Amino acid sequence: MTRLVEVPTSFDDRSFDQFAAAYAQASDGERLLFDAHAAEWASPYGLVGLLAAGEAAARKGERPLLTAPANPDVVSYWARAGFFREAGDLFEVHGKVPKLKPAVESEVLLPVTPVRAAADVHAVVSTIQQRASAILSSELGLDPKATMGFAMALSESCQNIVEHAGTGGWVAVQAYNWRRKLARRVVVIAVADAGVGFRHSLESTQAKRFGERWGDAAALEAALIQGVSRFRDPGRGQGLAGIRRYLARWEGKVAIRSGTARIAIVPRWDDDVPLKDGLPAFPGSQVLLIIPEQASEKGSSKQ
Amino acid sequence: MISHINVHAVLQQAVAGFYTDLVTRPTGRAVRENIERALPPGTVAVMDFTGVGCLDYSCADEIVAKLVRDKVTVLLLRGLTDAHREAIEPVLAGAGLAVLCERADGVLEGLGASEPAPALLDELVERQLAARNPGGTIRLTAA
Repeated sequence: MTRLVEVPTSFDDRSFDQFAAAYAQASDGERLLFDAHAAEWASPYGLVGLLAAGEAAARKGERPLLTAPANPDVVSYWARAGFFREAGDLFEVHGKVPKLKPAVESEVLLPVTPVRAAADVHAVVSTIQQRASAILSSELGLDPKATMGFAMALSESCQNIVEHAGTGGWVAVQAYNWRRKLARRVVVIAVADAGVGFRHSLESTQAKRFGERWGDAAALEAALIQGVSRFRDPGRGQGLAGIRRYLARWEGKVAIRSGTARIAIVPRWDDDVPLKDGLPAFPGSQVLLIIPEQASEKGSSKQ
Repeated sequence: MISHINVHAVLQQAVAGFYTDLVTRPTGRAVRENIERALPPGTVAVMDFTGVGCLDYSCADEIVAKLVRDKVTVLLLRGLTDAHREAIEPVLAGAGLAVLCERADGVLEGLGASEPAPALLDELVERQLAARNPGGTIRLTAA
């Protein structure tokens, strides 16, 4: 039997729970058909999240199916963003997919890129320094020195996969105009895996401390707010703390979804909630970092 | 005696692939272990970061904090960019550790937790590896 999992028309972190709910209804052994034919837009978070779903589905049963977006502009964009290069290994893809190489264009700072080992993180950091410097300083108004901090934040986000997920994952970085919230340009880093998730990763060292409160939400709180790590090494837990510092400096946002919970450090410009629990279960961890264009000294921002 | 460490050169030796960025725990571990092999315990060491691109928090901890915690008496860093300092400072401060940092004008200053830094400067002066200048600043006497 094949179960349909609809990909939201506009697929980003806000609509991800709708996608996760459809995914969570599948039972072991069912073949999944991810239907993106009606998709009109997907953020980097949506694209890497869809790959994570595909990997998890393949692990549980037959190789999943994916219907590509019918809109030629959308499917072309997904191809340029590097999605289909990765999707081909995970899904049986149906629909017309253009054979485009991942783009070197202004909005795709880093196409969807697999992260499996430390060498992949090196490659990602190297690429982003070459590509992002001009965007971050000229378009987002960040101090040129902030580029290195951006690379550090990206490195630490990717290392969560290498160090904790127990499997590979994907990262993508894009810049775009974010009309919905800010009417400003933003740079978005999205990292997703279908690994063990924060709760499982921290369970052996933290579950007892939290007692009955232990769960996905408590694990996210421990990792992001308290900076704890599954390793007893005293220097561990630096990565997420460093990401928080970097984002606080540039009024950025971090949100992490794992299992049935989602935690966020919410900047002034956003109305997200800091912690959500009881969400539809989804494997692994999905990390979202958003760095907005900085308001100019005159108080206006570039459009 | 001061041990000199060229971090960029060690990175090239320690890790396969021509990297200039010090990122990820495995890379940091490989670089630190390479450095440790050449360092007698309790030594005073100068680490030169010239040529190193991005340094992330994991590597700052894996290399700098662990050398300070376990291996060297005084660690002096030179060739740091502002971004390197931003990675190293919170990692050391969070662990109550400090290193010395040589500014472009040669003056030494503490980086990390504030309490241990004066003792590090005193240690260098006592070993006659650094001297106090009339203005109160401290510089290395030996390069």
